[in-house]
Order: sequence, then C-alpha cells, then structure tokens
Amino acid sequence: MAKDPRETRIEDLPGPKSPGELEEMKMPYEEYCRKAFDPGNEWAKPEALKGIRWLSCTMYIFTPHSAANLAELGADVIKIEIPRMGDAMRHTSPFNEAYLYPLHDTRPMTGTGFGFLNANSNERFLSMDYHIPEMVDVFYRLVKMSDGLTELYRPGTLDRWKMSYRYLQEMNPRFIYVWGGGFGYGPKVFGGSYDILGQAHAGLASITGMHEYMGGHPLKHSNWCIDWASGTMITHGILAAIHWRRKTGLGTMIEFSQVQTPTRISGYTFPLYGRFGIVRQRWGNWDTQLCVHGIILCGKSDFPDAQNPQDKFDARYVMVSAFNDPDFKELCDITGLKDFYGRYKAHKDRVDARPQVEIYTALEKWAADKTRTQVVKTLTDAGILAAPVMNDREVYECKHYRERGTLRWLDDPLYGDVLVASGHSVGMMTKTPRRTNWIWRPVGADNVGIYRDLLGIPLSKIEEWYNKAWI
Amino acid sequence: MADVIWCKKVVGGKPCNTVNYLDPYCFWNWEGKTNCAECGTVYYIYMIQGHMYRGPDEKPGEKPDMSPLYADKPLEGYTYYLPGVKGRTRPYECLPRHIYLGRADMVKFSIRGKPVRGWRPQPPSGGLAGQFPYKWDIKKLSPEVWAEYQEKRKKGEVKEW
Amino acid sequence: MVDKAKLTPEEYLATILVPEKGRETGHVCWDCKHLKPVLKGSKFPPADLIGWCTMIHWPFYWCITDFNVVKKCYAMEKGIYTPKKF
Ligand SMILES: [Zn+2]
Repeated sequence: MAKDPRETRIEDLPGPKSPGELEEMKMPYEEYCRKAFDPGNEWAKPEALKGIRWLSCTMYIFTPHSAANLAELGADVIKIEIPRMGDAMRHTSPFNEAYLYPLHDTRPMTGTGFGFLNANSNERFLSMDYHIPEMVDVFYRLVKMSDGLTELYRPGTLDRWKMSYRYLQEMNPRFIYVWGGGFGYGPKVFGGSYDILGQAHAGLASITGMHEYMGGHPLKHSNWCIDWASGTMITHGILAAIHWRRKTGLGTMIEFSQVQTPTRISGYTFPLYGRFGIVRQRWGNWDTQLCVHGIILCGKSDFPDAQNPQDKFDARYVMVSAFNDPDFKELCDITGLKDFYGRYKAHKDRVDARPQVEIYTALEKWAADKTRTQVVKTLTDAGILAAPVMNDREVYECKHYRERGTLRWLDDPLYGDVLVASGHSVGMMTKTPRRTNWIWRPVGADNVGIYRDLLGIPLSKIEEWYNKAWI
Repeated sequence: MADVIWCKKVVGGKPCNTVNYLDPYCFWNWEGKTNCAECGTVYYIYMIQGHMYRGPDEKPGEKPDMSPLYADKPLEGYTYYLPGVKGRTRPYECLPRHIYLGRADMVKFSIRGKPVRGWRPQPPSGGLAGQFPYKWDIKKLSPEVWAEYQEKRKKGEVKEW
Repeated sequence: MVDKAKLTPEEYLATILVPEKGRETGHVCWDCKHLKPVLKGSKFPPADLIGWCTMIHWPFYWCITDFNVVKKCYAMEKGIYTPKKF
C-alpha cells in the first residue's frame, strides 16, 4: 500500500502490472473467441433491437426474411396474416412431407410446411383482414405504436387502402416503411416476381452453370437464394433508416425491388459489358479470375456402399485452390503435372480459359483413381487448400458447425425437436448475439396477446371478430 | 417439348396413335434410336437444336437407346404412360422417393430420437381466437408419444446429436 | 423448302438458326464458325448487333456491332454459320 491511502498505485491493483505482463496474461485468441461468443448461451445476453416493434405484412420468403432478421436480433415483430389461411408459404412444403400441425384452430388437418422455416422465426402471429373498413382503425393503431412495416403488395395496393407511406407518415412521422416489390416502379412495375424470376431476369442464371461449349444450360440455384439475399438487404436498409431516425427523428420509405439483388451480387459483369461489349458467360465450377480455384471430380466415391445416391455418387467432388505461384508449383509437383508449371508460371497465363481447360482436365485425370478423401489429404498435406464438397448430412456431422453453434437442435416450445440454422448461422456477436427462440407459431396464435394486451380490446370483441373471420 | 413422335404404326388393324414426348433435356441435340411407348416400334431420329433433322425412321428388330419420358393418346381419352414405366418410358431420375408421393409422413421423433410435434390432427388450442399455449406439454397432450419416448430413452436410442 | 436429307448437320443447323442480318453488313464473321448471330425476329438484344463472337474473348461473348465492321480477325476460322443462298 502507498503511504497516503488516497494514492492509487498500479502494483496494488489486481491484474497485470506492466504491458508485458498484460500481454502474457492474455488468453490465446481461440480461447478468447470461445469465451466472448459463447455459443449456446446467447440467452444470457441482451438483444440489440429490443424495443423496436415491426409489422410484417408479408408472404413467402423475400419480404418475411427482412423482418425475421429483425426478430432474431430482438425486435418485437408482429406478423399479420390472412385469417384462417395465413401466409401462402405455410402451404408450400418441400414435396409432400414436412408439415407441422395445426395451421390454425379451425383447420386441425392442415399444417405449416418446412418451407416457412427461417423466414419468420421469433415473430408473433396476428391474424387480421386489415383491408376491410372495420379493421382499418385497428391497423392504424398498430402503426402508431410501431417503428415500421414491411409489405409486399402489388404497387399502389396499400396506397389504395390508404395504408401506404404517404398516409402512415402523417400518423407516425417516425414510421419506416418498406415496400418489397418484384420490379419496383418503372416500366415493369406490375410484374410480379419470384426468386426464380429474379435469378433469371437480372442475369444471374445466365452466368451460373457450365459453359455453353461444355453443354451447359443457365442454372438457377436450387435454393431461393435471391429471396434470402434480398430480405437481408432490406434489413440493412431498415437498420440504416433506424440510425438516421435517431439523428433526425424522421422515418423513411424503402423501396426494394427483388430483381435488383442479382445485379448487386454479379461482380464485374456489367462494368465489363459497359467497357468492352463483352457478355459474361458461365464458367461452371471453375473461376474466371483465379486458377487453380475450382471444384474437380474424383474417380472414386468416399461411400461406395451407401444407399443414398447423394453419398454414393456425389461424395466425389473436391474444391481445390492453388492460384498463387508457389501453391501452383506445389500442386503441379504432387500431381505429377510438372510441365504445366513450366508452361504457366505466371498467373495471368494460367487464368486464361484454354489453360484452365487443360489444367482441370489433367487434375481430374490425376484424381481418377482416387477417392475424395485421398485427394483432399494429399493436397492438404502438401499445404494446398482443398476441401470435400459436402452434402447436408456431412455438414450436420461436421464438428466445426456444431462447436460454433451454426447448426443446433432447438426444443421449440410448440413443435418440439427441430434442427435449425436460422439466426445462429449468421455472424456471431459478443454483446448482442442473434438467436432463435421459436421457429413459428400457428396463424393468429398471438391474437389475444396483441389485441387485448397491447391494444386493450375486450375479449368479447375479439371473440366477435374471430367468429366473423375478420381476425 | 423439343418434338414428339406421333406413332401411326398399324398394330392389330388400327393405328397406334400414341404421342411420344421427346423431352428437351435429353433429346435437344441427340442421335439414336427411341421407342414408341405403346407399340414398342423403334425409330431412328437425329435432332439438332430441338428440330428433327433425320427421321423418325422405323428400325424393325433393333433395340432402342433411350425411351421417351412420357407418352399419351390424346385422341383416345388421354390414356398415358407416366415416366418410369418399365420397357416403355424412361424413369425420371429425380422422381421423389416413394415416401414423398403419398400422404404426409407423421414423424413422431427427430433423427436423434427426441419427440417432435408433427402429426395430425392436433388437439384444439383451448384458447380464444386461435390462441395457442406456448409450451407444448407432450406428457399431457400426447401421453402415448411420451410413453414411447421413455421406452426409447431406456433403450439408449435418444442421442444428443 | 430445301431438302434436308441433302444437308450436312451444320447446314441444317444454319436453316434453323436464321440470322437477322447477313453478308451485306460486310463482316468477315459471316464466314467464321465462332459467330453466334442474332436470330431473326429477336426483339432483344438491341438491333445494332449482328451477333456475338464466341472466340476472341472466350469464355465470354463479345458483342459485334454492325457499325464496327470486322474486316480481319486473328481468330477467324472457316465454317458454316450462316446459310449460303440455297
Ligand atoms: Zn406406337
């Protein structure tokens, strides 16, 4: 202790005494991350968007996902659905299998399909036919106590119902309004949209798949990736609008056209055309900017005896990356393709289309008598980046995703044991992590919770509306 | 559809009259022999960009290389052959597994053996205006699944991952 | 109608893929097998293209405009893409 008790000396304090000691006491980075992110204990931490209330007048994946992102970050999202029917996405299960029952109290034999997953997690479910005159006021009351709304109607529909930004802004100047349309305003304003249309119409499908000269066709991604990506981009807009509102006190209207998203993620495609009149083509599992940087086919399956064709036949693909010169030299050495290194020493030589065809053909020839595991091991042992192309079963088995909590089992309060990725598969946050509390609820499951507890409407009235199918 | 072979082969005194559909994915640029799904007549065809360049020419006694995907008889009450009829049409490799084609599968346990709620019909909510209780009490609502779950636990069939 | 029995596959292909424009544009591309012409009746892409060269920027396609007449080209390879007058 110092003589004068009012004096604070560093050596009397707990903790490191010098910068050197501090450095020594720091835990290894890996350990630090594990502790800071602590997957599985998200619920002990606060939620970033707690206090934001959002209305989701949406359907399918694209616009609902914009609100689900908010709900996973802690916002109170109220999904408003057509009474007894719900979001059309509920009836769009993969094939005919995965339904969770019931959809609604009046429809015990109808369920909600797994296609609905991830796009509406953590939300509260309200049913309301808000376009009938009797319910308009209730809708306005929700608007007055909410921060914003996402809708996906045909252009001008909500304007006709006096529910567009022009009207709502007068009731609530802080209101943030999102119209997620297929095309947005413009010559194609009345065109509806689906994910596949977005992929096709904005040029993404034309640069996906094998090149025409290899017999390739334009491909759509199997999943509705443009829906998911567009929804996420809307959420960026919403968060920016919330920040802007903190500074100005004013809301915003966000207009998001789904067919815009593929243009945003198309990289150099348009600048290339604009400068040289060159139309980008598909280049399949290879890369137009890097070589070697692609997926090759090995001769033997990792699971030759498996019953599932996805294991039996597809467990043969390996992603290889060795584009910088030392890596490429190493790759040529271990695969016995030494003359390729002689011919294509510089990256600019081997990244051309013709050398790529030669190199990948030779690599596949080399891999023809090997399994996927053998190829990956040979390459990684030599210090080259290589990874098997895994199917979802293998991703589920993979320890990496399990430890980080990317995939996890959720004991859904209503539906029981469900394997989910959703909010946990987005980036991790130390202070306010995303989380999935429940996957969804039946249509109108929160009617009482919202009509009575939030709006103060008596139960007798709620029952009357329910019987008239207004809610 | 790239093109069709409308089979007019006279079999048993009347024309076969079957439309064999040549799906573009396989026949768009294709040369070989294909069969009529109804009468089995083998035709040689050569298609370029979805157009018939040569044929169809009958090749009696030869074996087909590939069958059409689907065939029907539009003038005779629309009898048809779905994909994958042995010896007539080609199986559609992406056909969903048989369990996808029937009624929805009432799964009671997830792949790790814990109970899910995914079958029908479900008991009514017991609340007002479709209000559902947020905690599904399996013991109370589905005692038989709960009993089965206890059995599974005893047998060690319930895993954590 | 030409007798397709007498055509080679390439010649037959040329009768299916009828280009919007032809030799009057003066491009050497009409004799080149790497030309992918704009087809007759297409409203899209813009009409000032005669087609695309599939070779000189392979694997990408290069737009050949009709006002930029290609008189010679290192990638030129003889082949049939346009029909001769039958
Ligand atoms: Zn026949």
